Amino acid sequence: MELEMVFLYLSAALAVGIPALATAWAQSRIGPAAAAALAEKPELTVTVVLLIAIPETLAILGFVIAVLILMQGGG
Amino acid sequence: MSRIRMLGPKEQLQSCLGCVQDVGLIQLIEPAETESLRPLGLTIEQAHHLRSVRNVVEDVDTALELLGVTPDPPKGAEALPLTKAALIAGRSRRQLEALAEQRRGLEEERALILKFRPFFSAFRKIGDSGLDLHGVRVFYLVLREDGEQELRRMRAALRQALGDGFELLSQPSDSGESAMLLAVPTADAAKAEKLLSEAGVQSLSLPGQFEEEGVSATIRRMQTRLGELPQALAALERERTRIARERGRELAWIQASVRDHLATVEAMEKAVVTPRAFVLEGWVPKAVQPDLERRLGLCCGPGFEIETVSSEEWSGDTVPVVLRNPRLFRPFEAITRMMPLPKYGTVDPTPFVGIFFPMFFGIVLGDIGYGTMLAAVSLVLRIRSQANTTLRSVSEIGLACSLFAVIFGFLYGELFGDLGHRLGLHPLIFNREEAFFPFLGLAIALGLVHIVVGLLVGAVKMFRGDKRRAIGKGMAAVMVVLIALALMAAFELLPERFFTPLVITTLIALPVLIIGEGVLAPIEFVSTLGNVLSYARIMAVGTASVMMAVVANRMVGAFGSVVVGILFALVFHLINFVLGVFSPTIHVLRLHYVEFFGKFYSPGGAQYRPFRHWSVRESASDERSE
Repeated sequence: MELEMVFLYLSAALAVGIPALATAWAQSRIGPAAAAALAEKPELTVTVVLLIAIPETLAILGFVIAVLILMQGGG
Repeated sequence: MSRIRMLGPKEQLQSCLGCVQDVGLIQLIEPAETESLRPLGLTIEQAHHLRSVRNVVEDVDTALELLGVTPDPPKGAEALPLTKAALIAGRSRRQLEALAEQRRGLEEERALILKFRPFFSAFRKIGDSGLDLHGVRVFYLVLREDGEQELRRMRAALRQALGDGFELLSQPSDSGESAMLLAVPTADAAKAEKLLSEAGVQSLSLPGQFEEEGVSATIRRMQTRLGELPQALAALERERTRIARERGRELAWIQASVRDHLATVEAMEKAVVTPRAFVLEGWVPKAVQPDLERRLGLCCGPGFEIETVSSEEWSGDTVPVVLRNPRLFRPFEAITRMMPLPKYGTVDPTPFVGIFFPMFFGIVLGDIGYGTMLAAVSLVLRIRSQANTTLRSVSEIGLACSLFAVIFGFLYGELFGDLGHRLGLHPLIFNREEAFFPFLGLAIALGLVHIVVGLLVGAVKMFRGDKRRAIGKGMAAVMVVLIALALMAAFELLPERFFTPLVITTLIALPVLIIGEGVLAPIEFVSTLGNVLSYARIMAVGTASVMMAVVANRMVGAFGSVVVGILFALVFHLINFVLGVFSPTIHVLRLHYVEFFGKFYSPGGAQYRPFRHWSVRESASDERSE
């Protein structure tokens, strides 16, 4: 039973952790490019904010899945 | 929009352009040339005059920018003659540029001395050690930690490059780094410089006036100078303020009148003429056209005529766009304007944004306490902002969002997180700390409604043109609803017997979708379903926000002292409030721009820019012309 809980929590952690790392990697690539673009064209602010927010979908969906795992597993 | 053509006697062109500028409602465009209609063109004198006007504009713009203020021009003042305006603008620009140059020099000098300051005492000790500095070049160096080892290495490298012809003295500074003085014969200075650069040793350069002096004298002078510089800078600032006070409004008036004049001269280039008459064309909002015709007729006098150009002569792509919305939704035009404007004749999404944006925001933040704080901040912004500015729009959007945040705060029973529960506030729909599934369901359901509305708006818009694609788009909306109902039946939220009929209906609808929108439609449809799932972020960001607030409340009991706990909790709530405003804004904006607008929005409209007076450009930039 205890081992099951370990796997449950581990799965939930991985479900949110891996997408969060992927988001971080994507944003680390978008960020500098966005800063460079903004230096030349400040009017791109909205587009840049959106571009930075787009990879966050991964982390958010990961979070939702983690919650589902925890709720389904009774954690 | 109406396209109008104005005709009149050629000699009245300039006065009529003045009238058009006074009315300020027509966006002038260049009419098509024909054999009998030629561009007016400028004579050599006029071209020279245009250059002079542009020079004055440049001078006055630069002067006002350097003044750092934008005073209101005096009302009803007479326009200055161009020569006098040029004189005042040119003189002010030169004077302010000189002041700015002096200020820059003083600030650079202060920054250089400040770099030396931590090493003053160390360098003074070196300087007092009787070093003969005549005929040598002195380098002031700074070594970070572990100076001893670095010093030995550098001494060895210098000996190898320069023999014994150098002197290297060092002293630890107050900041823990080592200050070093390297003296080499002037002839060897280049070699030493190269060596220092290769070793990555930081060299402090002396301000020009301190070179050629002994170390102690230099440090003394630097200290004195550091005391003098603030007064010198303050004197420059006083001078700038004096100029702003004495000449600011005059310069603002020159800027307004000269820019108006420049706009009129440039507008003349848009006129086409026959030997006796001129023709001007432009766009004007339909609603104001009758009033505009009356006013221009009165102003331009006899011989002036206006006619409406038939819509068959122009295409929608060239028409400028004015967003026209009821007062309630008008602030939300700021959100639409952050994207390229919609094309003329397509749907303005502002009313939808006005409904869904604050609602989604409220569902995410959903806290009476944070909502009230946001309302207070928005109210202050609204009081401090001027009408028809972006800041005013932002403040009004903030008020709408705060209203929804408070409403959903009551529904969730949240006041600064779970503090509401402790004070006896009960959730009316669900408790977000525990009810993840209901919250997720609400988020997805909202996404479903939002996307279906987007698809239906797209279908209705398309129905006037491409009926087949419109039916395809409408069918996509129907299929999204069918799939949602089928899923509800599968999860027994609807009677189970509905499941099979719903699935069969969806399968029947699929070919209609493909016929309407093409073979790629199923792929796009899957992406639409993905768009619906994206609304799960409403739940995710909302849950994160409430959990942060709960953690903040628990801080009160987590520290030994209640006072310290409360202080930490307040700081944490403040941080959560900032995040709680920023994060939903970004995500809800994204849901609108990416998921919702993607279903019907046609960007590419050109901003409506009427030919009007320079002084009204700011306040009128957001003006509704209808």
